[in-house]
Formats: sequence, C-alpha cells, structure tokens
Amino acid sequence: MTKHDPAAIQAIHRELHEHLPSDSALRVKALESVLVAKGMLDPEAVDRWVEVYSEEIGPKRGARVVARAWVEPAFRARLLEDAGKAIEDIGFEGWASAHLKAVENTGVIHNIVVCTLCSCYPIAVLGVPPTWYKSAPYRARVVRDPVGVLDEFGVRLPEGVEVRVWDSTAELRYLVVPQRPAGTEGWSLERLARLVTRDAMIGTERDLPLGPGKAR
Amino acid sequence: MDGIHDLGGRQGFGLIDVDEPEQPFHHPWEARLLGLVRAMGRPGDWSIDWFRHCRELIDPVDYLTRPYYDQWLQTYAAMMVKSGVATVAEIAAGTGKPSAVPTSPPMKPADVDSAKRAVVRFDRDSRAAAAFKVGDAVRAKGHGASGHTRLPAYVRGRRGDIVAYHGAHVLPDANALGEATAEPLYTVAFAAAELWPEAAGRRDSVRLDLWQSYLDRP
Repeated sequence: MTKHDPAAIQAIHRELHEHLPSDSALRVKALESVLVAKGMLDPEAVDRWVEVYSEEIGPKRGARVVARAWVEPAFRARLLEDAGKAIEDIGFEGWASAHLKAVENTGVIHNIVVCTLCSCYPIAVLGVPPTWYKSAPYRARVVRDPVGVLDEFGVRLPEGVEVRVWDSTAELRYLVVPQRPAGTEGWSLERLARLVTRDAMIGTERDLPLGPGKAR
Repeated sequence: MDGIHDLGGRQGFGLIDVDEPEQPFHHPWEARLLGLVRAMGRPGDWSIDWFRHCRELIDPVDYLTRPYYDQWLQTYAAMMVKSGVATVAEIAAGTGKPSAVPTSPPMKPADVDSAKRAVVRFDRDSRAAAAFKVGDAVRAKGHGASGHTRLPAYVRGRRGDIVAYHGAHVLPDANALGEATAEPLYTVAFAAAELWPEAAGRRDSVRLDLWQSYLDRP
C-alpha cells in the first residue's frame, strides 16, 4: 500500500512539470506509449472509449430523459424520486450515475449546477462537460453571482424567480429538468427531445425556444 | 486543503467562454487522454478521492493555466510515479519495462460496452447515527482539513438548513487516504444572503452535499 503523502505528490508534480514536454498532445503520446510498453493499456480500448464519448454518451441522452418526464407523469415521479434508478429503464446508467438527482425548474424556481472544487458532472446523461463548466470563471462566480452568470449566457430571469445553485460536493450528480415550452401539446417524445439543450440541463439556459436555437 | 482548487466565490476571473463550440472534444489529444484513463490498468491503491487530491496538489499556476485534460494527465502520471508503476524518466521518454507493482489488467475493446454501463455506488451500510434531520439548522465547520476534503471555504462558519438526508456515504477525507469510512451525508441549503454581502434581500440559495463531520449545531 502506497503511503498517501501530499508532500511527495507535490514534489513529483514539480519533477513532471520540469521533464514532460510542454505540449499537451506530446504529453499524451508519451503517457500512452509508456502504458503500452508496460502492458497496462490496449490502444484499441482507447479507440472504443473515444467513439463512446464522441458519438454515443452526450446531451441527447439527457434530452430524452427530460422529454420523457414531460410526457409520462409516472416516469417524472420516478425520476424526481431516484433519477439514478429511473434512467436504468432507458439503459443510460454509467459513470457517476448511481446518485443522480433531477431538480425541476418551475415558474418560480430556477436551478443551476456547478462543481466549485473540481468538475463533477452527470456524464452518463450529458456526456463530457464543456470546458467552461470546468474553468475558473464559472466555478468561482456561479455560486456568488448566478444572476450575473445567467445574464452572460443571455438569460434574464423574470422578477421573483428564486435561484437554487447546486454545488456538487459529494457523489450526487445534478440534472436540471427545464420547463416544457408552451405550444408543444401533443408533440412526440422524439420531437420534444430535440428542444432540450445541454445548457438547459446544466441550468445556464431557461426558456427553450421552439424554433432554431438561440443566437448570441 | 486550502488549495487553489477551492474556487467558489473567488473574484477577478473574468468572463465565461459562452461561445465555446458544443462538440465534446476540441483537440484529438483530449479524447485520447480520457479514453486512456478509462482503459488503463491501475494499481489497487487508487481511488476517486486520491485522484482529486493529487489534482489539487498541482502547482497553483499550472492548475489555473494548463488545459483541463492535461491536468488529468499530470495527475495520473504523478499517481503512477507515487505508486511505483513508472518513473518520471520513463513517462518523459514514453518507454519502460513492466512494473513490479501489480496493476489490474488493461481493458479490452470488447469490454468497453459493459464498462460504460458500470455503476459505482458510494452509499454504505453504516451504523453511524444521523445527528441531524431535514429541517434542522446547522453551521458548517469554521476551518478546513489540511488533506483532501469537500467542505468549500465559502460556506465555512456559515449557517444553513438541512434539506435532504442521503444515508451514509464514503467520506472523501478518509477515502483519499485509502481508508474506508462512511458518514451520514446531507444536502444543506445556505441562503445567498448568509454567504455574500451583495446578496442581501435575495431569496436565492446555494445547496451543497456535506458530511456530518463537516457540520455543527448552529
């Protein structure tokens, strides 16, 4: 068992900083080839994961979950009760989905999600997070000035709406369920799912447009 | 630890890149690194919280300036060196002999389809009694721990209300050290006005998932 020694890790970081190439692509090449040389990595498995996170596991999954909650009251109830369990119905369970929590926007509540300490994100239903979600400006500001952050994303909250910021400090992962737009009565699940954006499920978008997406 | 990673409420970072293109990866190496992390064999003494702690220990300038997946790379490289599976020189050269330290077998391409649906739970059966119940007022501890911890600085010493109880979850502070301890976990709502002077009069709240040992009675 390795001793979990923070000072030793800091010293190793300094050494790595000094000896690894500065260019990120070259660093990844070096790490991949040392892992292969040591028999610790099959590059074809890496290819498969790249396909999975480029094409399969992304915000289209979350959009389907949201649209289903809009059209199927029993699914909505189960999603709000235990989202990690509810998404097993659709086969969307996976990385960090065990303790998934769905939080619903209403006319008077707006939810927005962050991880101030690192980058926790509901990957199983939204795919890999955008860079801005993991970057200092968003992590620093959204807990302190959510209205200002929303404004930057082009969202003006109506008067009297309460903002709930969810800081993902444990293994719970948060998925915002945006409001179903008016004028979509009778729409199919597939058509509704096309309205639901990644940002609306993070909470940096609020009113979903029926036409082509927002232009900033 | 009171490190550079604890960013909530810090000021002066400027604007968010709201026009970032929506595709999941912006450079091929980012996707490669993520795939590599998911597929590699690993020693038995790693955990999610040890990984997080090792990332927190990156030099503060690098933490704020190196790209995100590049930081993952450096963190995994540091963990490999610490666990004795590779040396810095081997990683820099991209070559080396199989390590004496045992690692799990590398994932095979055919295993990815089941691995992508694997669910890891962090709740545990525990006899630790819940000290608080939903509706209770609590106060977050006034100081942080010097190791890995998940109590952000911006709520320390502040008063909040328990809005949910989740049973016992693995305690990150202990998990980072390779110890298996679980503690009652709660969602605590802090009024924005309790946290930030400029939020006076606003009804907004910030909600965090906090372990029992992070909390006191108010």
